Amino acid sequence: MIGGLFIYNHKGEVLISRVYRDDIGKGRGGWRNAVDAFRVNVIHARQQVRSPVTNIARTSFFHVKRSNIWLAAVTKQNVNAAMVFEFLYKMCDVMTAYFGKISEENIKNNFVLIYELLDEILDFGYPQNSETGALKTFITQQGIKSQTKEEQSQITSQVTGQIGWRREGIKYRRNELFLDVLESVNLLMSPQGQVLSAHVSGRVVMKSYLSGMPECKFGMNDKIVIDKQGKAGASDEAGKSGKQSIAIDDCTFHQCVRLSKFDSERSISFIPPDGEYELMRYRTTKDIILPFRVIPLVREVGRTKLEVKVVIKSNFKPSLLAQKIEVRIPTPLNTSGVQVICMKGKAKYKASENAIVWKIKRMAGMKESQISAEIELLPTNDKKKWARPPISMNFEVPFAPSGLKVRYLKVFESKLNYSDHDVIKWVRYIGRSGIYETRC
Amino acid sequence: MPYLGCEETVKELKRALSNPNIQADRLRYRSYITRVIRSMTQGLDVSALFMDMVKASATVDVVQKKLVYLYMCTYASHKPDLALLAINTLRKDCADPNPMVRGLALRNMCNFRMPGITEYIQQPILTGLRDKASYVRRVAVLGCAKMHSLRPSTEIDPSIVNELYALLRDPDPVVMVNCLRALEEILREEGGVVINKPIAHHLLNRLKDLDSWAQSEVLIFLMRYRPRGDDELFDVLSLLDEFLQSVHTPVMAATLRLFLRLAAAHPAVQADALLRARGPLLAACGSASRELRFAGLCHVQQVLRSQPALYSGQYKRFFCGYSEPGYIKLRKMEILVELVNDENVVLVLEELKSYCTDVSPELAQAAIAAIGHIGRTYTEKCLDILTGLLALQQEHVTSAVIRTFRDLVWFCPQSIGAVCRAVEVCGENPQDTEGKQALLWLLGMHGEQISSAPYVLEGFIDGIKAELSSAVKTELLTAALKLFLCRPAETQDMLGRLLHYCIDEESDMCVRDRALLYYRLLQCGVDEARKILLGPESDPSMTVLAGRPEEPVGCWASGFNTLGPLAGADAHPDAPPADSSAQHCHSTEEEVVSKPPCQACPESAGAAEGPRNTGDSQEEPGLTLGPPLSHEAFERLWVELRVLHRQTLGFPPPAAPPETLQAVLQLVKVQALAFSRCEARPWKAYVCARAGSTLVLAELLHGDPAVPDSQDALLLSVKQRPENLQAIRGFVSVLHNALQTLSSDRT
Repeated sequence: MIGGLFIYNHKGEVLISRVYRDDIGKGRGGWRNAVDAFRVNVIHARQQVRSPVTNIARTSFFHVKRSNIWLAAVTKQNVNAAMVFEFLYKMCDVMTAYFGKISEENIKNNFVLIYELLDEILDFGYPQNSETGALKTFITQQGIKSQTKEEQSQITSQVTGQIGWRREGIKYRRNELFLDVLESVNLLMSPQGQVLSAHVSGRVVMKSYLSGMPECKFGMNDKIVIDKQGKAGASDEAGKSGKQSIAIDDCTFHQCVRLSKFDSERSISFIPPDGEYELMRYRTTKDIILPFRVIPLVREVGRTKLEVKVVIKSNFKPSLLAQKIEVRIPTPLNTSGVQVICMKGKAKYKASENAIVWKIKRMAGMKESQISAEIELLPTNDKKKWARPPISMNFEVPFAPSGLKVRYLKVFESKLNYSDHDVIKWVRYIGRSGIYETRC
Repeated sequence: MPYLGCEETVKELKRALSNPNIQADRLRYRSYITRVIRSMTQGLDVSALFMDMVKASATVDVVQKKLVYLYMCTYASHKPDLALLAINTLRKDCADPNPMVRGLALRNMCNFRMPGITEYIQQPILTGLRDKASYVRRVAVLGCAKMHSLRPSTEIDPSIVNELYALLRDPDPVVMVNCLRALEEILREEGGVVINKPIAHHLLNRLKDLDSWAQSEVLIFLMRYRPRGDDELFDVLSLLDEFLQSVHTPVMAATLRLFLRLAAAHPAVQADALLRARGPLLAACGSASRELRFAGLCHVQQVLRSQPALYSGQYKRFFCGYSEPGYIKLRKMEILVELVNDENVVLVLEELKSYCTDVSPELAQAAIAAIGHIGRTYTEKCLDILTGLLALQQEHVTSAVIRTFRDLVWFCPQSIGAVCRAVEVCGENPQDTEGKQALLWLLGMHGEQISSAPYVLEGFIDGIKAELSSAVKTELLTAALKLFLCRPAETQDMLGRLLHYCIDEESDMCVRDRALLYYRLLQCGVDEARKILLGPESDPSMTVLAGRPEEPVGCWASGFNTLGPLAGADAHPDAPPADSSAQHCHSTEEEVVSKPPCQACPESAGAAEGPRNTGDSQEEPGLTLGPPLSHEAFERLWVELRVLHRQTLGFPPPAAPPETLQAVLQLVKVQALAFSRCEARPWKAYVCARAGSTLVLAELLHGDPAVPDSQDALLLSVKQRPENLQAIRGFVSVLHNALQTLSSDRT
């Protein structure tokens, strides 16, 4: 259980404090002691943060940082650490859902709301209710909203209903489904072009606007399923699609998905929550399509000059366009001047970030682009060699680098008279870069 | 920070709140109340406004109500008499037709932290427990716990307890979990909520309906339940099975912990659970949020303690990303060291080598230490890398390498030659205390193989006036004397100077005494000095203990999924994870004892200098031999005392002959009194040891048909006088490790 929750700004001033249990502030000074202890020991500490869990005088502080805001949960008990962190993330998600980015400004402006939220989410330090959808109907930002009594009791029953994620009696004129496959591809590559580690972590995010209590079934090109079907017959078809199937390392689902069915038949069926939610998270490590190759060439010319040449190659269908490409080439600390020549896009040396930032708006598949830079260095007598941080890259591509494809998404609603064909469905794939680094 | 000079603000707020014009304008009124709360958050004492705030609570505006209640909860304990004025409004709200208002009022009434309030809230709580809205029931159930925490000493009302037990069958899942939580707190003195068979099965069946936090809490409560018989056990396990693959890391970890606990008698089931949890744990280690990643890594480390091979195929997952924070990188390196095997050693070393040039000296040194650790098994490859690093000529790298060399030489005598050559060509000396000590130790110990040793030492002796650390000075004295013993001609002059300085001018008593000691030792003759000063050059037997044996799962399973694994090596010394709390107060004796990380025996802890060991070894009183105990005295004491601790060690008795056994125990300072022959059934052994001021007696039993626990593993029973739990803990872990080493040696 959680004894208290504090939100600090980067200076260590308390923006929000909510104490749930007396035990965190026994003795003189009360819970203020705990607040100050965290500020002094963590926020104002001179070294880097040593651990996200800090023990001060038999009290544990769990913190997460969002931009320059610190959220800290405090407890005296031996709790399950992962749970507290998940709770803090959830808290961040809820706040983001209410007022957007978590910043000092926003927190100050939504001060009342946050207290209201903290009151509902935790009671006596125990998590109670955290589904954003349910909370949203429960706490209104304006507060003054005269509702009829029926409406309010309906809300309470919804908040506490059996299927916690969906309320009864939802109606839409147009039944629509939006499905986004969002992937982030992570890569660590050696200077010689050898893949040291690569994985894709993906999410399937859905927005459903469906009436009633529909049952959905979601299918993708999961290797295990396709192999199974291949055995059952239609070997010709399976042979074709077998190549395109992907091996999922591990996946996790929203609580609405029936896990027992997934375990036995590997089919994903569920009653979807209303509105936006994350259906599934997964990871793959095999046969990843790496959208870009970065080929670095760094040459030290004497002690005061460095020549850098970086080639990027796009490796996908020529008809597709990658967007928001950014290559970050780190430079040594003692850089005095940089001359850059690039064929495409814009490149700039940013002294404050110690890097050359090269931006390209759009780039088609199977193309190549190059940048070369001459870096002049100040002579130093520091013997330390430059550690050569890796070249990192950001981009967005309109396909799933894991190779995941949505095969079908069926909707069944037996009570209301609409069928699978009447639902309008939209599917979109977005691949983004996670940590995409090439050592040089 | 506006702690001071705030009276103006309070006055202004008071004026505003009592202004009828403002009171009439609802929005303005609320904005002033908001300002009061904001000042409160910033640490301003606004308790003077209590009266005005109480007035503000009589409103239909729910938001305003919430704010005022928040204020009142904070200051009620300062102004109990005024708070009573607010009670009436609250009690009226408790009967409101709107369930939200009812719940809100009840919750806040329970949150008033003043002792006198219980008589006012008892009735509303009881009504709330039977409310038709589940929202109010949730609040009321926790209200019972709050009421108890206000008056912890009063007697527990059995009717409330019964009511709460009945509410475990409530259709609303949150009410059910809240009941468990409330009962746990109310009944803490009596050992917490009782989980019997019907309750356990009910909880297992409802588990699916709960949200992830409730799930992970219920799974912890279920640890208290012991299924009768294997059939029930496997039914329970198969119900739990799907949660091993849960979306939420905490649920998965809690399930794994429960699995390990329930299947304690079935190692195969445990191993299978660990294997199945591998995917989800790895996913946690690669999760997007760094805190979760950290928690995942810490738990992988726990699993590695008994199954190092489980993750070795996945070693690439533990390569560090450039932008990861230091605490994650450090953990990843620790894990990489554990995962090394013949196939991946080249790649892992390559990877670790690239961390050695990290910007942060701390990380670079950790990477070097990690290479050193691997070097105990793959000596040659690591020596090449370490020697190469010396060429970087960076202070912190050189120092770390020298320290690693020192440890390596101690463990692997075959590396002495290469190390000496590397030290010889190393142009730069370390500048920090630790590094200097390590270099001096190497020079003293292996001076005859390092031709430049006298010159380096001379440099140190010339600069001794500027040296601040007395530890370095002492080490220098020892090194100079040792070098003198093997290369007298080159060293005699400087040793004389050094002794002269230390005896005449040194102000530190320890250094001076050491110098005097050496001086007198030399007066007794060179041979005497040699006998005393030159110990063994290395201790290859250490490698047996240092290559950590695979610990049984039970060693760490009890601490899994708590704060324990996260605390790690650099935990704050005065704040070990608060273990004594709720979930642990009724854990069995076994658990309490297996809590400290099962470390290698104290001797090896001192020499190995693994980061894991240094912390604890100083706190626990080490074992000492002392005068041997006679057999009669042992018998008398054994009859007199009662068994303080009983535990099964997860392996059969060592098959070594009694002499070996006795010698090994002697090594870890345990006196062996009597043994059965090795094939005898039942097999028995009696041992004793002294720890600090206490005497520990122990019996080891195996295969006695009368004692079921001893059938397939060793049963250890410990008696002690005077009682000292910590000493028992130390003793058990020493004995455990020694015996385990023996039995694993044989197999």
